[in-house]
Amino acid sequence: MGSRVNMRPTSKNTLLKVVILGDGGVGKSCLMNRFVSNQFDEHSFHTIGVEFLNKDIEIDGETYTLQIWDTAGQERFKTLRTPFYRGSDICMLTYAIDDKHSFRNLQMWKNEFLYYADVKENVQFPFIVIGNKSDVEANEREVSQVEMETWCNENAISACIETSAKNASNVQEAFATAVQHWLRLENRADKNECLYTDTVDLTKKQSENRTSCCINASDE
Amino acid sequence: MGDVLMECMEIFSQDGVQLKSAQATYVNYLNLVGTLYITEYANSNCKRCLEWKPNDVTVDSDVQDQEWAVVNTVQKRSRTFSESQPPDASTRPKFLKVNFNDIKSFKISNKNRQLTIFDGKSEVTCCFIFQHGDCDYLLSLMRGLLKTVSAKRDKHLYIVIHGDDPETAQLDKSFAELNIFQDSSHPSWWKLVKNFQERPYETTFETFSRVTDFVYRSPDQRDIDDDQRELLHRSLTEYASTHCQGDYEVIAKVPELPERKDYPRGRPLSTEQWKNLQNHEGKLEDVDQIKLMIFRGGVAPNLRYEVWKYLLDYFPWDSTQVERQKLLCEKNDEYYNMKLQWKRMTRVQEDNFSDFRERKNLIEKDVNRTDRTLDFYAGDNNPNLQLLYDILMTYVMYNFDLGYVQGMSDLLSPILHLLKNEVDAFWCFVGFMNKINSNFDIDQAGMKEQLQNLHTILGFIEPQLVNYLDKHDSGNMFFCFRWLLVWFKRELSFEDVMRLWEVLWSGLPCDNFHLLVCVAILETEKQALMENNYGFTEILKHINDLCGKLDVPAILVKAEGIFHQIKEAEHLTDNIRVILGLPLVGTQPSPEEVISISPDSPDEDPYEQVYNTMQHIIT
Repeated sequence: MGSRVNMRPTSKNTLLKVVILGDGGVGKSCLMNRFVSNQFDEHSFHTIGVEFLNKDIEIDGETYTLQIWDTAGQERFKTLRTPFYRGSDICMLTYAIDDKHSFRNLQMWKNEFLYYADVKENVQFPFIVIGNKSDVEANEREVSQVEMETWCNENAISACIETSAKNASNVQEAFATAVQHWLRLENRADKNECLYTDTVDLTKKQSENRTSCCINASDE
Repeated sequence: MGDVLMECMEIFSQDGVQLKSAQATYVNYLNLVGTLYITEYANSNCKRCLEWKPNDVTVDSDVQDQEWAVVNTVQKRSRTFSESQPPDASTRPKFLKVNFNDIKSFKISNKNRQLTIFDGKSEVTCCFIFQHGDCDYLLSLMRGLLKTVSAKRDKHLYIVIHGDDPETAQLDKSFAELNIFQDSSHPSWWKLVKNFQERPYETTFETFSRVTDFVYRSPDQRDIDDDQRELLHRSLTEYASTHCQGDYEVIAKVPELPERKDYPRGRPLSTEQWKNLQNHEGKLEDVDQIKLMIFRGGVAPNLRYEVWKYLLDYFPWDSTQVERQKLLCEKNDEYYNMKLQWKRMTRVQEDNFSDFRERKNLIEKDVNRTDRTLDFYAGDNNPNLQLLYDILMTYVMYNFDLGYVQGMSDLLSPILHLLKNEVDAFWCFVGFMNKINSNFDIDQAGMKEQLQNLHTILGFIEPQLVNYLDKHDSGNMFFCFRWLLVWFKRELSFEDVMRLWEVLWSGLPCDNFHLLVCVAILETEKQALMENNYGFTEILKHINDLCGKLDVPAILVKAEGIFHQIKEAEHLTDNIRVILGLPLVGTQPSPEEVISISPDSPDEDPYEQVYNTMQHIIT
């Protein structure tokens, strides 16, 4: 319990743990750096081990602190990254739109996350699918937006977005969407009265905007 | 509760193990790949078992990767619906389980990749194939846990000797080092074991090793009852503290370390010194002295080009000029042969070879993001990037099992930058990889072992800090992962990396000196970590942020000082001696060793000897 207090920033904001997953080289670190410090370096090193950055984001007048975890994508380092999945609030499944293989691996990443994050079965977890590198030339694109949406529907994931960390397109939006998505599921869980008492107290008053959230969340 | 494995202690686990044959009950699992464990059920008379679980089980994740499970940073917030039900017991994974007591013999075959267990009744109890590497480690464990003799007709067949009371026999054997507990001790031991059980078992094994350390410190003066009490106290409080935040300071009265002495750095090995130490055939005369000079001061930058080839085992230290010329020709041919193998691969071959394609894709990606801020690798279409790529691709052909693992491009980059020659850089890279390839184990066993060893050594030098880390979910030392994986490559400037690496390559003054480098840095950061009351995430962040702020010469001075402190400490444990490759207490060097090390004074290690005689020359 004491250690938990330490993990949290001194502010009273709700802390959300966000994990970015995806194949090596799809731009996980670049997305994080663009979001947190609005910087982009095409040639920055690949991530070794695990890194994280904090960043505040405001949604509907409330401020949330996102603790964004960035991990090494290579299969070899699986045993080192999976412990960090526990306690996540949001998972960003990332691929590069010019890399079909990274898109196909989303299933693997989703399974790996669910397996190790200790998410209860039958629980709708706030995943968001991110197709990065939307800046590439049309002829280099290997995954269409339709394919992404189809995959999300099949997997009951309601949030997806194409981004470019390089030209800063949709990056803020991606994180904002993820938080909104989380909020919606949190409200729903609250309605089901299964929220543990030590959870954040953001929705004591039952919110009216309860939507059927599973399919099509892009109503924000 | 409920899961079978939760009630037991895992002694060993290895993934990528295929079940080749087994009794009829397990027919559905044949040829599946899974994880093999050695487990110990403390509450049932110390029953050890060999267990195997297939991979495609999605019921419970608790079994795997327990070493790392402590890093649960944000407390779990479960979201669950009332209709969700406990998982059906019938969907639980089935484990193939062989009680150690039922093992009559076992056999290693197929280049140490196959393990067959016999129960003496039916022909074969089960048979496993190890897909990632060999089963040597498992074999050594099994031979430690079971009394075995090699069969006369087949030295790979081990026959198990079960004593009259096999459980007690095994217990005594495995806890032999804790012999101060003998006679009156079994009940207390089980009390202790029971306490361990209340914790997730991943820390249990680690605790055992610490218990051993603790006991070793001064077995003679301590009262046995006190020891037991304190052990129990530790086992309860130290780990329970994450839950109840007790204000215990449960460090036993540890004997003091000898005073830390300063060992000022020497001057780099100069061209003149290097030339003077070669005879007319170009053969080095006094290798020990050269290595010591490199350890103490590194190599002059203009001489690195030559010396690194020795340090990285490309040139044998005792080779002559003529021999080296011949070697260069051979290595040149060998390299280009391997390079042609992947260069000649057709499109179709590649399409049908996913393992190769995967490695190739990752190399392409990583070459583009390795040291691009250096002039040598900067800019688009830089030919040096192509060299980096070609060498890594050729290494894939040289060692396909290892292939390419992220981090390797970091290790190659300074070597290529210095040598600027594809073939030389390749072979030197091979030499470097030979030194640290366990960093890239498929199951990361090498990294885990190093982090564990670092924890052990740090506990010896800075018990207060280790205690703090343990209490703050950081006892797994994960925050040092990047340091160890690429030997500080990401933390230091290029020049500093070269200096540190050549010092470490000298192999002096002991094995795993890089762990003492880690200890030196952590000791420097101790105050910052503890005074700020950092938790797991802040510790990770603080350590990651040391990047660019480390003073290599000062760290090396400190690390060498720490080495001497450890070496001279009266309460030095065998555990640490093993890690640092120091001679164990009570072991007599074998006759050959005595001769090869030093005919005059077998008690003195070579580092010490040369150090003493050379000190006046080199500083």
